[in-house]
Amino acid sequence: MKLICIDLESPLPSIPPATLGEQWVLVRLHRCPIGMLKLGRTPGLTASELGRRIADECAWPIAHHLAVDGLGGDTNVDEFMRLSRACPRGAAPRATVTVAVCTRNRAAGLADCLDALMALDYPAPLVERLVIDNAPSDESTANVVARYPGVRYIREPRPGLDWARNRAIREARHDIVAFTDDDVIVDDQWVRALARTFEEERDALCVTGLVVPDALDSRAQVLFEQYGGFGRGFRRAVYRVDVEAGERTAPHHGGTGKFGTGANMAFRRETFSRIGLFDPALDVGTPANGGGDLEMFFRVLKEGGTLVYEPCAVVRHRHCHDYDALKTKIRNNGIGFYAYLVRAAQAYPDERGAILRLGVWWMWWWNVRRLLRALVRPAAFPRDLILAELRGSIAGLRRYAAARRHAARILAAYGAQS
Amino acid sequence: MKPSRDWPIAVRMIEVQDALRGIDDLTEYPRTRVFVLDAGALIGSVDIHNCRRPISAPRLRQAIGDWQAWRLMKRALQRQIAVTAEPPLSPAVTVSIVVPTCNRPDDLRRCLMALRAQRSARAVEIVVVDNRPGTAITPNVVRDFPEARLIEEHRPGLSYARNAGFVEATGDILIAIDDDVTVPAGWLERLVAPFGRADVMAVTGHVLPVELETESQCRFEAYGGLGKGFARFEVDGSWFRSRRTAVPTWHLGATANAAFRAACFRDPAIGLLDEALGAGMPTGCSEDTYLFYRILKAGHTIVYEPTAWVWHRHRNDSSSLRNQIYAYSKGHVAYHLTTLMRDRDPRALVRLGWSLPKVYLRRAVERLRRRSDYPLDLILTEIAGNLAGPWALWQARRRVRRFGPSAAYVLPSERLLRDAPAAARPAPATNHAVSIQSPLA
Repeated sequence: MKLICIDLESPLPSIPPATLGEQWVLVRLHRCPIGMLKLGRTPGLTASELGRRIADECAWPIAHHLAVDGLGGDTNVDEFMRLSRACPRGAAPRATVTVAVCTRNRAAGLADCLDALMALDYPAPLVERLVIDNAPSDESTANVVARYPGVRYIREPRPGLDWARNRAIREARHDIVAFTDDDVIVDDQWVRALARTFEEERDALCVTGLVVPDALDSRAQVLFEQYGGFGRGFRRAVYRVDVEAGERTAPHHGGTGKFGTGANMAFRRETFSRIGLFDPALDVGTPANGGGDLEMFFRVLKEGGTLVYEPCAVVRHRHCHDYDALKTKIRNNGIGFYAYLVRAAQAYPDERGAILRLGVWWMWWWNVRRLLRALVRPAAFPRDLILAELRGSIAGLRRYAAARRHAARILAAYGAQS
Repeated sequence: MKPSRDWPIAVRMIEVQDALRGIDDLTEYPRTRVFVLDAGALIGSVDIHNCRRPISAPRLRQAIGDWQAWRLMKRALQRQIAVTAEPPLSPAVTVSIVVPTCNRPDDLRRCLMALRAQRSARAVEIVVVDNRPGTAITPNVVRDFPEARLIEEHRPGLSYARNAGFVEATGDILIAIDDDVTVPAGWLERLVAPFGRADVMAVTGHVLPVELETESQCRFEAYGGLGKGFARFEVDGSWFRSRRTAVPTWHLGATANAAFRAACFRDPAIGLLDEALGAGMPTGCSEDTYLFYRILKAGHTIVYEPTAWVWHRHRNDSSSLRNQIYAYSKGHVAYHLTTLMRDRDPRALVRLGWSLPKVYLRRAVERLRRRSDYPLDLILTEIAGNLAGPWALWQARRRVRRFGPSAAYVLPSERLLRDAPAAARPAPATNHAVSIQSPLA
């Protein structure tokens, strides 16, 4: 079933019975996501039943949101705990934003993605939309993009997601570069929330946002959320490492998946002149199969930048529908994570000890320990998926070297990006 | 040398009823401690790991919300439910503030400046006690504050000094503060407000660090500081009697910020501060905890009122944290021995023979198992201080026998009858002072 988004300022709808997969509801207040109701295979809920569920499960985040809104001057006792009160989080944005979608031979889903991008609630002159067509085998993507005036189509011949991202950075004309994927449907508030966060947190080089599932039709999609999904909670978090005091990044922030994902991330454009572009040896389309976003998050913190997670910047991600694709995806997660660790250890010798500890610990705690648990309690999570990630993790250790050679060959064949 | 991740800590205060702005001037500070006020009442603190960068208004807003939302909600509801107010304290009740000092002119000046800025409808008297008379240092400061009275106490020891101030003071309520605190606006009325109830004999307040600029200041605050938290509480005689182990009067506050009904010093069951305890004596501290003990034993109520906070400037030198902890540990044992010998309280034995060793054992085990980062050498310092306690108390008692006791407290209305006009102040023990080497030197 499609994910249902409700906002508590509008009247609650009733929930239709789940005919396919599971029914989840994203609960928002003042457009800010505050919680997820996992209704499962529900026979449907009336509006008042839904209201009761929300009051049961989301009372505290709602109260917290309202209490935070009430801070600072406009606390009116009678207004306290009223859902319709003014929310100070909706300041008018001024920043200019380039939205970049990197895609490769997936024209079918691209239209949904572009429809959502055209419907953004943001002043038109302040936003630029790019589609980077990465080493396409036909003209289908170009044909889809041609239907959307105002979307710039750019072809990047070097295969690899990070080549495409770097091309987007070079082509971007605006101050903030926001990345999303072709299997993502962005919320109409997405760019507004990103821009607001950059304006509020002046030190932020990178802002990541909330990724919720678009639909939970199949077992694979529910399993992916159970595996961890992409969502990282409903509160803003500001991350920074005290580089001046010699604090290391890897011990607490080496597992950069906790910050978010490449499907929903944005950077100030000057970030890249400060800390460099994406590593073209990483991410989809290379032997490393992923990790480009993880590595960039790490580099932002390691170079003394600030990274902010802002859940109001929400996008819906179409998780892969069938089980085999999920298995590949999870295996690639393992490869990408360990390839990123190898890359980070090579780039930053002072972090090597901490990265080694992290790699060993993660292998035990996430891969081996989960596998042992699944042997005792088979219902917890499918063993073959855990095993796929374990295999991928081990393979990932050697993939970065291969990916470097691969990137060098591409560079030799196509020349450098200008 | 690389700067530290943990100090200095910027100390800021935010009123949530005012427009909330971000905090900018933080380039020197890896951390920030924000004390949160709601309509003037102190409700808690929030630590933000800002890594030497400004804190934006939304981040501050959320940090306060994350840590204090529940208290803010409770207070907002309380305002609607209209909790019945306690009986107000009559404006006719007079107050004396006693500030003992010894050659700390800068601290004293700051302290007196802040006291001068207090606004109160009642008669307020300020008594400065010079515990190191003979130099012009303290008189030179007090000369600039005509509203303050200066008296001298030659016998060294904080208890002697405070007692001399109490005996001279004429107020119905006597407030004890240290010379290294400064008081915020409105402090006086918040501290004396609980005396509107007849059973309240003493009120203690919160003590906040005015700055956390150096490692020793931060470590002292991390060790526990002087404050006792943000929640108001009160204890009374039934609480005192119901305790099976020693009554933890050391959790009630300190005379760095405390107020007493003057009548309690006249009560023979309570009396003044024990001269053998306290700073300037070998015991080092605990004179206030022993006074709280006597007040509770006499069946009265003590209120901890965190909204009546003061700012305290923690000592700066790096050796002083260790010395201070050593003194606390010494004074702690001296206090228990005093309750044992003076009041025949067997609960002191339970504390000394059982709970105290257990505390250290647990702390050491936790440290060795790496469950805590409490330094082992501090644990050893504490144990050494404890072992030195009995000897320190014996030394202090001998010294008090030589110096003689403080003058007895007499109610102001009865003083004229007692004293000849010329001898309005207690005779300073000058004959002793000549032969004594000051322990503070």
